[in-house]
Amino acid sequence: MSANTNFQPKIIVFACENSGWLASEHAAELALSYPEKVELIKIPCSGKIDVLFFMKALEKADGTIVMACQKENCKFIKGNIRAAQRVKQTENLLKEIGVEPERVGIHYLAANMGQKFVEIVQNFYDKIRELGPNPGKVIK
Amino acid sequence: MIIAERKPIEEILGLLSRHQKVLVLGCGGCVTVCLAGGEKEVGILSSQLAMARSKEERPLEVVQQTVERQCDFEYLEGIRHIVKDVDAILSLACGIGIQTCAEAFPDKIVWPGVNTKFLGVNLNVGEWAERCQACGQCVLDKTGGICPVARCSKSIFNGPCGGSQDGKCEVSPDTDCAWALIHDRLTRLGEVDSLREIMPVKDWSYSRDGGPRKLVREDLELESGK
Ligand code: SF4
Ligand code: SF4
Repeated sequence: MSANTNFQPKIIVFACENSGWLASEHAAELALSYPEKVELIKIPCSGKIDVLFFMKALEKADGTIVMACQKENCKFIKGNIRAAQRVKQTENLLKEIGVEPERVGIHYLAANMGQKFVEIVQNFYDKIRELGPNPGKVIK
Repeated sequence: MIIAERKPIEEILGLLSRHQKVLVLGCGGCVTVCLAGGEKEVGILSSQLAMARSKEERPLEVVQQTVERQCDFEYLEGIRHIVKDVDAILSLACGIGIQTCAEAFPDKIVWPGVNTKFLGVNLNVGEWAERCQACGQCVLDKTGGICPVARCSKSIFNGPCGGSQDGKCEVSPDTDCAWALIHDRLTRLGEVDSLREIMPVKDWSYSRDGGPRKLVREDLELESGK
């Protein structure tokens, strides 16, 4: 656990509208909750994610992930593969400036996985909480 | 097109270390196409710089701008008002753009943000290769459209040399022998016999050996001289 137990990380989740986003709606239907300081942003396909989106997110957040369709199951065929590549590129950019690459990630799920959605968000939140505040945050 | 690559981040951070406010200036030309210095790269690098400096608790204000072409003075005119408020410019254009920028803003520090590599072609996503060295007197008509200056490691004119093996250059197994390519292509075109003609010694004074080059076309000059 981080020394600062009051630390509540700010997390930005980019959710593909064909999987992650629907799963978040499913979680709402099931009345499942997740930490407050998680901001959800709908994207038309995980392949729409860009290194720049992640970097911009990390200027103000402590961690950011993209929620993509299951492997081999992207509506646009290669969107989730591209998203994974952009996560790697962002990890490298973070490493270059000494920021933990664990602050960015990708998770795969299907539209009907409300429970899994909450699990992913909670686990990532906990992981970032343990890691502590993003040292590179620009907008504090 | 001109191929460039972003400089290592530590080098860029070093260049900008004494500044508090910089303009990261992209170019909409070649460096956009080769993904080194277009609008998106300006955004990504700006984020990286701001985060790196925030981490050091020495905040850097980064202004972002990308002009159509940095190698044309007229496009730089439009950003004069932005330039006046920054400590320095980090240019992500090729060496030509960077110098045009420095010439347009003589009182402003202009740092290079990329290493300009060569004149080349995009072979694959993320892969570029050299094709021309702007030698000033093109010989592609004699070599089947394959440049012996840029693509032969020794820039020889009556190749191949003895180091050519199985189509590869002795310098590296990853490098095609330009003269093998020339030979194969002229054979395919039924013109291989043209290689029997010995090419004369090249006049390198049209190339870099003649000093910095300049081109003046009087037919295009207006009466005002501009
Ligand atoms: S011969 Fe000279 S001008 Fe022609 S492609 Fe080669 S280097 Fe460029
Ligand atoms: S092997 Fe071919 S490309 Fe390499 S130096 Fe000799 S002629 Fe030029």
